[in-house]
Amino acid sequence: MHDAPPLPALSAALRIVRRRVGDVRQRLRRVAAGSACAGLAMLACSGALAQDQPRKPQRIVSLDLCTDQLLIDLVPRGRIAAVTHLAADPSVSAIPDKARGLPVTRGGAEDVLAHDPDLVLAGPWGVSGTVSLLQRLGRNVVIVPLASDLAGVRSAITAVATAVGEPEAGVQAVAQFDARLADVAATPRGPGRPSALIYQVGGSASAPGTLADAAIEAAGFRNAALAYTTTRTGQVPLEAIVARPPDVLVLASPPHAYRTVLADNLRHPALAALTRRVPTLTLPWRQWLCGTPHIATAVEQLAAVARGEAAP
Amino acid sequence: MKTAAATSRAGADAVAPQALLAGLAAIALLAFLLSLAVGPTGALIEASPGARALIFWEIRLPRALLGALVGGALGLSGAALQGYLRNPLAEPSIIGVSGGAALGAVIAIHLGLAQVLALALPLGGLAGALVAMLAVVFLGGMRGGPVTLILAGLAVSAFATALISLALNLSANPFASVEMVFWMMGSLADRSLTHVWLAAPLILAGVWMLLRAGRALDALTLGEDAAQSLGIDLARTRLLIVAGTALAVGAATAVTGVIGFVGLIVPHALRPLAAHRPGLLLPASALAGAALLATADVALRLAQPLVDLRIGVFTALIGAPFFVWLVLRLRRQLAP
Repeated sequence: MHDAPPLPALSAALRIVRRRVGDVRQRLRRVAAGSACAGLAMLACSGALAQDQPRKPQRIVSLDLCTDQLLIDLVPRGRIAAVTHLAADPSVSAIPDKARGLPVTRGGAEDVLAHDPDLVLAGPWGVSGTVSLLQRLGRNVVIVPLASDLAGVRSAITAVATAVGEPEAGVQAVAQFDARLADVAATPRGPGRPSALIYQVGGSASAPGTLADAAIEAAGFRNAALAYTTTRTGQVPLEAIVARPPDVLVLASPPHAYRTVLADNLRHPALAALTRRVPTLTLPWRQWLCGTPHIATAVEQLAAVARGEAAP
Repeated sequence: MKTAAATSRAGADAVAPQALLAGLAAIALLAFLLSLAVGPTGALIEASPGARALIFWEIRLPRALLGALVGGALGLSGAALQGYLRNPLAEPSIIGVSGGAALGAVIAIHLGLAQVLALALPLGGLAGALVAMLAVVFLGGMRGGPVTLILAGLAVSAFATALISLALNLSANPFASVEMVFWMMGSLADRSLTHVWLAAPLILAGVWMLLRAGRALDALTLGEDAAQSLGIDLARTRLLIVAGTALAVGAATAVTGVIGFVGLIVPHALRPLAAHRPGLLLPASALAGAALLATADVALRLAQPLVDLRIGVFTALIGAPFFVWLVLRLRRQLAP
């Protein structure tokens, strides 16, 4: 716009055309930079891409309770466009206080688009329809594989940190996590490993291959679930637990925490009788439901019980 | 039941009533005892004495009692509904009474009523079953023909399911979707004596009312006019059937979720043996329902964890094809 416009209307029209052309040019440049980058290492190229687009996503939406928590821990609040309502729910979230006040998405492509995100984080389950629609509309969606063991926690942290453009923060978070676990492992314990079972609403137990199993093992317990025949969905019949109780019984919630018929197993008279005989500890579900660094808190609490320092 | 049918159908096409009831009672008792003996820890030999007592009294006994009580309630309600509505397809879960009961129980739990007063759970089931029962009877009518009643039941059932789903969603507990499965496809797993104490009185009251309608149902096979001339009070009969079904099915469903098709299979299997006499079919269906559900529960526990099935899924797997067979038979009968 160096020359004086002859007519205001014409100048406005010209401005629009110029802007459109500029947009297209910018897009082409971005595509070129992107494709040139494809064959190279990510770090080498980030500089080239940074010229045209902000290097770090600024309006991030998360569609999964677990990516919510990883995101909130790694990124300043101002860059979070929305998280799920579960992030602030103290019954399932490890960091409800940090999540309170953040904008909430109820999910669904339309709601996500209303936040105009430049990055959408999703878990592998439950939102595939939304995710494929967002991808078709050209949104940047990163699906974070959710952890089912402690190595998975590290890779989930790294995956989110990379996606949000904060790899250093990711490295730091993994280091802190590892340090906490190493402290637990380094603390001397007595001979032999007592057994523990995490028992949950609906009869689910710390079946092998779950985070609950990983937390138990990392704390120095033997997972008692291995001794029972579990169903394919990881449930153990109450009868089996009563017949062969673990050394320590870990309940995932207090008996009356949830108004659901599924929690009847935690209110069962036989379980109440068992908890009078077997050392029992209530370890809130929210600490080990998601593969976030906060699972270290669960490991530390369990380890204190395993060493006999803390009464369950 | 089949063996009893095969051995005793030698001469006449019906069995002596006392022999039929005694035989079914023996089978039901056997199934009940088997149910006490079977479980994930087998015959309880390896468990410590303390654990053994706990398992027997607090886990297996309630399961066996509920299997027999709920099976009996469902079998009897099916027979009573079929006799009273004169509809071979009538059954608590098909005509939406079980769905209404589940809705009532869900509301009682999620409004917190059941936490304040435990009895609110079966009473919620009773209220839901009663509303559904009245809706079906008035919508489908007793004179509307088999299809109208089933359609009315379908509507009530679908509405109840939608409201259960709504209630669970509004309750915002993280287990809502799993809980939906419990209510739709019931289970006897890990129920406690608390559930037995809550449900049993109401179930037994319902059973008592339904059994008292037997003579009226016998008379009704001759038609309403003939029944009235025999001194049958039709209004009282309707009250017995509606309230009895609501009590029995409502309280049963409130503690186990919807267990479908028991009330369909049992009366049909027994009808030839009961000489098509509703008065005899009612107690026979109660006993056979108890035997069927307890046996199914034993079979499922023996098959665990090979077949990880809920009992509501199991009865639907058997019952739905049976329902189709009944529909086909009905179509042949209705065809010109």
